Amino acid sequence: MTKPASIQPVAGAPFTPGRKPKKAAPDTSPIEASSKLSRTLVFVGLVLLGMTFVVPFVWQVLIALTENPSEVDTLTRTGMPPAIEPGNFAKVFQRVDFAKYFFNSLFIASWATILQVITCSMAAYAFSRIQWPGRDKVFLLYLGTLMVPGVVLMVPNFAIVLGLGMFNDYTGLIIPAAFSAYGTFLLRQFMLTIPSSLDEAASIDGAGHWRIFSQIILPLARPGLIVLAIFAFLFNYNSFFWPLILTKDDNLRTLPLGLLQFDSTYGPETNLIMAASLMAMLPPIILFIVLQKYLVKGIQLGAVKG
Amino acid sequence: MIGTPKKRLGIAMLFLLPNLIGFLMFTLGPVLFSIGMSFTDWALTKHNPYSDESIRFVGIQNYERLLVGDESHLFWDYFWNTVILMIGIPIGIAGSLGLAIMLHAKAGPAKPSGRLKGALIAVVVGAIACGAVWLVMSPHAAEAGVKSTEIGLADMDQQKVDALRASFAVLITAVLTGVVAIGLAVGQVFFRTIFYLPTLLAGVAMFLLWKALYRPQGGMINAVLQPFLDRLEGIVFATPMMLWYVLGIAIVILGLAYFGLSMARGVRNLSSGDAGPAMFGARVILTILLVVTLVGSGFVATQLPLIGLFPTEKPAPYSQSRAQSVLEELPDQFPALGDRAHVDSALIAYLAPRLDEQALRTLLEDASQLHDGTVPEETREAWMSLGSGVMSEIIVLFDKAVSDEERAEALDRLKIDPLVRPALQELDGASLREAAARRVLVWVDVEPLAAALQTLVPEADAKELNARLLDNAIYRRGLSAGDGLNAPAWLIDAAWAKTALIVMGVWLGVGGGNMLLYLAGLSNIAPELYEAAAIDGASGWQRFIHVTWPQLAPTTFFIVIMSTIGGLQGGFEQALVMTEGKADTIVLTYYLYNLAFTDEFQLGLASAVAWIMFAIIFAMTAFNFRYGSRMTND
Repeated sequence: MTKPASIQPVAGAPFTPGRKPKKAAPDTSPIEASSKLSRTLVFVGLVLLGMTFVVPFVWQVLIALTENPSEVDTLTRTGMPPAIEPGNFAKVFQRVDFAKYFFNSLFIASWATILQVITCSMAAYAFSRIQWPGRDKVFLLYLGTLMVPGVVLMVPNFAIVLGLGMFNDYTGLIIPAAFSAYGTFLLRQFMLTIPSSLDEAASIDGAGHWRIFSQIILPLARPGLIVLAIFAFLFNYNSFFWPLILTKDDNLRTLPLGLLQFDSTYGPETNLIMAASLMAMLPPIILFIVLQKYLVKGIQLGAVKG
Repeated sequence: MIGTPKKRLGIAMLFLLPNLIGFLMFTLGPVLFSIGMSFTDWALTKHNPYSDESIRFVGIQNYERLLVGDESHLFWDYFWNTVILMIGIPIGIAGSLGLAIMLHAKAGPAKPSGRLKGALIAVVVGAIACGAVWLVMSPHAAEAGVKSTEIGLADMDQQKVDALRASFAVLITAVLTGVVAIGLAVGQVFFRTIFYLPTLLAGVAMFLLWKALYRPQGGMINAVLQPFLDRLEGIVFATPMMLWYVLGIAIVILGLAYFGLSMARGVRNLSSGDAGPAMFGARVILTILLVVTLVGSGFVATQLPLIGLFPTEKPAPYSQSRAQSVLEELPDQFPALGDRAHVDSALIAYLAPRLDEQALRTLLEDASQLHDGTVPEETREAWMSLGSGVMSEIIVLFDKAVSDEERAEALDRLKIDPLVRPALQELDGASLREAAARRVLVWVDVEPLAAALQTLVPEADAKELNARLLDNAIYRRGLSAGDGLNAPAWLIDAAWAKTALIVMGVWLGVGGGNMLLYLAGLSNIAPELYEAAAIDGASGWQRFIHVTWPQLAPTTFFIVIMSTIGGLQGGFEQALVMTEGKADTIVLTYYLYNLAFTDEFQLGLASAVAWIMFAIIFAMTAFNFRYGSRMTND
C-alpha cells in the first residue's frame, strides 16, 4: 500500500531563512507559493486554523482535570483549574457502569465490522469475479437502495427487529449492521481494479472459486477491506440512533447512550462529563493514528458517509 | 470462466447469499415495507398483542395530515428548522475548499533537513517564549494573602489567580509551539489530521464537549467573546451615536450597490460569451457571501447605538436583611404551601440570594396561589418547569450527599443563602427527588411563563413582573442582568440556538471528507492549465476563478449533492444531546423519532414523514443534477 500521489506533501524550496533554494522545483500549485513570503503566510494560516481545532480539546482536558464542578467557572476566568484532579476519570467508572458501556460499544462495533467485511467481500466477489445470469440486474437493485435516504429505513427496521424478537438484545444491534449494500459496492469497485489475469492463471492451475477468493483476491483487496472495516467500525462505534431505539436495559447501553444518560444525571458536573467524553473519544483517535493512510485513501475513493 | 452459466449461478449464490439475505431483510424489504406502512394507521399503542384492533389501511390520510392537516403546522415548522440549519452547508463547503487550497499550496520547508531544522528552531524558540511568558506574568510576592477583587474570583488569593493565568499562558504557548514544530516537521499530513479530527470524533462525546463550550457561564466561547464585546461596548459609548448609524447605513448601501454592479457585469459577460454559466454561478455565490457579510455588519452597526439609548434597568440589589424579613413571614403568610413546602423552599432558597425583595415576594405569592388550586393549568405547568429546572440542579448535588458534611458541601457549591440553609440541611436527596421526579426540565422559556403569570397580578404590575421574570431568567441563563452588550446564551436562547448549531456543524465538517475530496481534486488539475494562465498574465484570483473553480466543478457538484442529502436528514443527535429539542431546534428526523418512538409509537405516520423527506431529497437531487450538470459542462 503506497501513499496516493495526490496527498503527498508538495516538494518545493526549503524554508530556512537566509538560504537560497538549490534548485527551483516546478510550481504545480494553484497559488504562487514559491516566494518565501507566501510560503510563510500559508504556514502561519495553517497554524492559526490548526489552533482553533486544537484549543477546544485542550480546554476539554483542563476541565476533565478540574477537581470541583464549581471551579469550572474559575477555570474559564483564569484558564487553569485551581487544583488538578486526575481522579475524575476513575470517578466516572464509579458513578456509572462506564466499563460496561465501553465493552458494549467495542463488542457491537467489532462484531458488526467483522461480519460486514465477510458478507460484503463475498458478495463483492460474486459481483466482480463470477459471470452469472441476472448479475447486473441484482447489482442495480443494490445500487438503487443506496439512493434511498436512511430515514426511510428507521421505522420498518425497528418493526422488523421487534418482530424477530431481537429488541433489547445484542443481536438486534449487530445483525442488521452486518450487511451493507454500500460496503458491497465499495469492495466490488476495489476488486474490479485487480487484474483478472491473476485468477485466470489460478483457475488454469486448478484452483476453485473459494481458493481464488481466499488466497488471491482477499489479500490483494486488503486496502479496500481495511477501508471498509474502518468506516464500519467508526459508524457503529458512534452509532446513536439504533441503540437508542433498540435497547432499553442499562446493561445494553452503548457509549453514546451512556454518555447521554450520564449527562442528564450529572449534567452540572461538567468536569466528569468532559472526563467521560474524553475517554469515549480515545478509540477512534487510536484507530485513526494507526490506520490514517488507509482512511484518507478510502475517503478519496469516494467512501464518504452520506 | 469455469462451468456452465447454471453452475456459475450456483457458485455465485453461495458467495452472495449471506449478504443477499441481509440485504433483502434489512434494506430492500424495509424500503418496500415502509411504503406500505405509510398508508396505514399502525401505532404500537393501538396494535399490539394485547389489543384486538387490527391495522387499517387509511390511504393518503397520513400524508394529508402532515402536509395540510392537523400535523401540518409542526411538520412545516420542523421543515423550516431543518432548512435554516442547512445554511451551514455552503459555508462549510467554501471552508473545505479554502482549507484544501491552503493544504495544497506550498507551506513551510520542503526538504527533510530544512523541516527538521525548522522544527528544532521552533522548539528552542518556543521554550524560550514559555520562559519569557512565565517571567512576565508570574505572580508578585507582594500580593501574597491579598484576596482578588475580580468578579467570580473573590474567594481566591490574587497571587494564586496570577499564577493560574501565567501557567495558562505558558500552556497555550507550549501548545502553539507544538503545532508549529510538528507542522514544520511533518508538514501537510499533520494539519490534515487535526482538521479531520472533529469529523472523526463527531458523535455524542463531541456534542457534549460543544454543549460545555457553549455554556453561557463557565463555557469557553463566551469567556473568549465577552471581553471583546465589553471593549466594543466601550468603543460604542465613546463615539457619537450618529456615527454608527451613518456608518452602518453606508455599509448597507455599499453592499447593495456592489451586488447590483457585480450581477450586471456577470450578466454582461454571460451574454457576450466571455464567461460561461460556471463563472456566473461562482460570481453569484461569492457576491452573495460578500454582500451578506457587508449588509449584516452594517445592520449590526446601526443597532449598536440602541444599547446606549435604552439601557435596561438593573434590579435593586439583594440584601440579606430584607430577604430575611420576607422569609420569616413565609410560614404564616402562605399556609397553602402545605406538604409541598419543602420543594418550594428549596426553590426559594436557590432564588433568594439572587432576587430583590419585591421579586421574591411575587414569586412566593405565585407559589402559594398555585397550591390553592386557583390558577389555570398552564400557569401551574410553567411554574413547575421553572421550579424543576432549579430543582434538578439541587437534586443532582443532593442525591449523593449522605452525610451532613456532604450536604453542607453541596449547599456550599450551590451558593445557597445561609438563612435558608437549616431548612434544606434536614432534607435528603430522595424526598426532593420524589417531589420533582415528574418533570426535570433544565431550561424554560421565559415568555410563556411571564404570560401565564401575568394573569395572577393586577394589570398595572404585569409589565414589571414581566421585566423581573426576564431578569431572573437572564440570571438563570448565566448572563448578568443589566445594560451593555452580552454574549448570547447560545443553546438556551431560541434566537441563537440555530446559529450555535450551524457554527458547530461548520467546525465539525469543514476539515472532513469534503476537504479531502477537494484535495484530491486539486492535485488532479493539470499544471499546464496554470502555466497557460500564468503566460496570459492571470493574477492569482483570476487563476482561481478561471482554472481552479471550473476544474473542481465536478467535485463541487458531488459534494453539494451528498451534503444536501445528508443535511436534510441530519440534526437529530445534536438536537437531542445539546438542546433536548428546545429552543426551536427540532428537525424532521427528530420529528420522525418523536412520532415513531415516543408516546404513541405511530409507525404509520412516521413512515409517511420519511417518504415525504425522500420526495424532497429526490427533488433536490434532481434539481442539482439539472442545474449542476450545466455548470460542470462549462
